[in-house]
Amino acid sequence: MLSIRDLHAQIGVRKILKGVNLEVKPGEVHAIMGPNGSGKSTLASVLAGRAGYEVTKGTAHYLGDDLLALEPEERARRGVFLAFQYPVEIPGVNNAYLLKAALNAVRKQRGLQELDAFEFLALIKDKMKLMQMDESFLSRGVNEGFSGGEKKRNEILQMAVLEPKLALLDETDSGLDIDALRVVATGVNSLRSPERAIVMITHYQRLLDYIEPDFVHVLSDGRILRTGDKSLALELEKRGYDWVKQEASAA
Amino acid sequence: MSAIASSPATVHYREAFARLQPQLGGTASLRVAAMQRFAELGFPGARDEAWKYTSLRRLESRRFVPAAPTTTSVDVPPAFVAQRLVLANGSAAGPVPAAFGGFTLGTLQTAPEDQLLRTFVGGGTERFAALNAALTIGPLLLSTAAGQRSDDVVQLSLVTTGTGPTLASPRIAVRMAPGSRARLLLDHVDDGAHEHFTNAVLDIELGAGAHLTLYRLQRQGERAFHIERIESRVGENACFVLRDSQLGAALARLDTHVSLDGRAAGTEITGVFLADGSRHLDSHVLVDHRAIETTSLQDYRGIAANKGRGVFNGKAIVHAGAQKSNARQVNRNLLLTPGAEIDTKPDLEIYADDVQCSHGTTTGQLDPEALFYLRSRGLSEPEARSALTRAFAGAVMARVDEPVLARHVHDELDRRLVRLLEGSV
Ligand SMILES: Nc1ncnc2c1ncn2[C@@H]1O[C@H](COP(=O)(O)OP(=O)(O)O)[C@@H](O)[C@H]1O
Ligand SMILES: [Mg+2]
Repeated sequence: MLSIRDLHAQIGVRKILKGVNLEVKPGEVHAIMGPNGSGKSTLASVLAGRAGYEVTKGTAHYLGDDLLALEPEERARRGVFLAFQYPVEIPGVNNAYLLKAALNAVRKQRGLQELDAFEFLALIKDKMKLMQMDESFLSRGVNEGFSGGEKKRNEILQMAVLEPKLALLDETDSGLDIDALRVVATGVNSLRSPERAIVMITHYQRLLDYIEPDFVHVLSDGRILRTGDKSLALELEKRGYDWVKQEASAA
Repeated sequence: MSAIASSPATVHYREAFARLQPQLGGTASLRVAAMQRFAELGFPGARDEAWKYTSLRRLESRRFVPAAPTTTSVDVPPAFVAQRLVLANGSAAGPVPAAFGGFTLGTLQTAPEDQLLRTFVGGGTERFAALNAALTIGPLLLSTAAGQRSDDVVQLSLVTTGTGPTLASPRIAVRMAPGSRARLLLDHVDDGAHEHFTNAVLDIELGAGAHLTLYRLQRQGERAFHIERIESRVGENACFVLRDSQLGAALARLDTHVSLDGRAAGTEITGVFLADGSRHLDSHVLVDHRAIETTSLQDYRGIAANKGRGVFNGKAIVHAGAQKSNARQVNRNLLLTPGAEIDTKPDLEIYADDVQCSHGTTTGQLDPEALFYLRSRGLSEPEARSALTRAFAGAVMARVDEPVLARHVHDELDRRLVRLLEGSV
C-alpha cells in the first residue's frame, strides 16, 4: 500500500530525512518511535504533502502511484489521512462544514453520491458518540478554543468519518489523559480492518497497550535504525533509544 | 467669493444644472448655492489628502448627464424584506405614500426644504454632497414619531438607470424622534446598461434615546462609479449602527461621518469590502466624540484580489470634554493574490484625558497552515481559500442581523471568491 524507498528530505539546507525505507501493507499497524527531533513529523508531513520540504532523493509510492507527485487534496481524496500533531485552529470555518466538504470530496473520488444534510448528520452523530464528543462541537470553528485533548479527538473523529485507506497518526496520544487516550484508541481500533493500514507515530509505548502494532520502527536522525514487533516498544520503554543508536553505529 | 475652479467637468455640470433647474423642485437659492459650492471645490486634485489613494481622473473625464425626473418604472432585483420602496435615480416611480413601514415620508412638496437639501462642511466628499444637493430630484425625508419602535426592516432600493451615462443623485434624510427605533436597508443597484455615476447622500439625525440600524449593500455594476456620503448626528443615549457591504462598482467611495453629540451617544460602524477584478473601493470613516461617555466601534474587513485596490481610512476624534469616552477601531485586510493592494490608515486624535481608545490594523494573506489543513482533508485549493476568506469576513458578517441580506452577501462573496480563486489557480 505504502512503499517508501531511500527517502531523503530537507527544509532549506537542513537535511532531516536521510534515507527512510518503509513497507506498509493493507491491514497492518505500524508504530514509528524515536527521540524528539528525529524526523517523525517530517516524514508524516512529506507524505501528506505539506509545502516547504524538498525531497532530494528516494520515492514514496501509494497504491502503486507516485504519492509525492500528488497535491495534498488529491492524496486525501485517494485515502491518505494525516492526524496532525498540532491541529490548527481555524476560527470562522465551522467543523460541520469541514467534515461535510471533506467527506463529500472523498465520496466523489470513490464514485459515491454526495450525502444530503440529513444523511450527513446521522453519520456524524454516530461517530461523535464513538469519540464521546458533544454535538455542540459541530457548530464551533475548526479546533477553535479546543483543549489539547479535544483537538486530538477531533482529528480521530475526522478520520472515523473519512474512513481513509492509510492513516498517519502523528503523536495523537501526546497530551492525553488516560480516559481520553482510551477514547482515541477506541476510535482508532474501530477503524482497524484488513483493507486499511495505520501508521502511528508516538513517543510512548503506552498507546501501544491500547492499539497493538504489527511492527515497531525506531526512527533516529532521519533513518529507521531498527524494526521489530511489539516487544521492541517494551524494550525501548525500559532501555531508552541510546542502545539502538549504539548497535546501529557498531553494525 | 472664492475663485471658481472651472475645469471642463465642473463647467459641464454647471451647464447641465442650468438646463435641468426648471424641472427641479425647491427654491432656486438653495440649489444655486449648492452648485456654487461644488464649482468652488471642483474635483479633487492630485495633492488632496482625502483622495490620496483614490484618483477621480477617470470620473472627471466623463460627462454624465444628470438624471431628470421621470415616471418610467425600472427593473430591480427581488426585495430582501416585505417592505420595499424603489427609487429610480433618487425619485419614487409613482406618487410617494405619506407613510411607509413605520416612517412618515416627506418630499420637497411636503417637507421643509432646508431639511432635504442640506450641505455639509468638510471631508473629501463635501463637493459631492453639494453637487447632490443641487441635482437631487426626489429627496425623501423619513421620520419617526417619538417612542415609535419597529423591528421590521424597511428596504430602499436605489436604482441608477438611464439611456446613456447618467448621474443619479439620490438623497435620503432620516429623522429619528426621541426614543424611536428603526431598521433601514439601503440597496444600491444600477441597470448595468451604461457607465453610470451615482452620487448619494444620507443625512441622518437621531434624537435622544433613538436607535437606527442602517444596512447598506452597494452592488452596482462592473462599470459604475459610486460616491456616497453618510452624515449622522447622534443625540443623547442614541445609537447609530451601520452594517456596510461594499461589493460592487468599478470605483466606489463611501464617507461615513458620525457626530456623537449627546451624552452617552454611540455608534457601531462595521463593514466588508471585496475589491476583486480591477475594482477600486475606498471607505472613509470619521467619528467625532463631542460629548461625555460616548462610544464608537469601527470594524472593517477588506479583501482585495487581482488588480483590485482597497482603501480604508478610519478616524476617531475625541474632543475636549468628551471624557469617559471609548473609541475602538479595527481594520483587517486580506490580500488574496499578489498585485492586490489595500491602503489603510487608522487615525486617532484625542483631546480629553480620561478616555479609552484602541486601534488595530492588519494586512496579510491567508494562513498557509490553515490552508494546508483544509487541503489535507480533501478540499481543493479554491475551496479551502474561499472557506478561509469567508471566515475572515465572518466576524463582521455575523453582525448583519437581517438574515436574507446576510445570506445574499455570503452567497455573493462565495460566488465571486470561487470564480476568482478557480481562475487564479
Ligand atoms: N520548519 C523547520 N525549519 C527548520 N528545521 C525544522 C523545521 N521543522 C522541523 N525542523 C527540524 O527538523 C528536525 C525534525 O523535526 P520533526 O520531524 O518535527 O521531529 P519529530 O517529529 O521526530 O520530533 C528537528 O531537528 C527540527 O528542529
Ligand atoms: Mg513530531
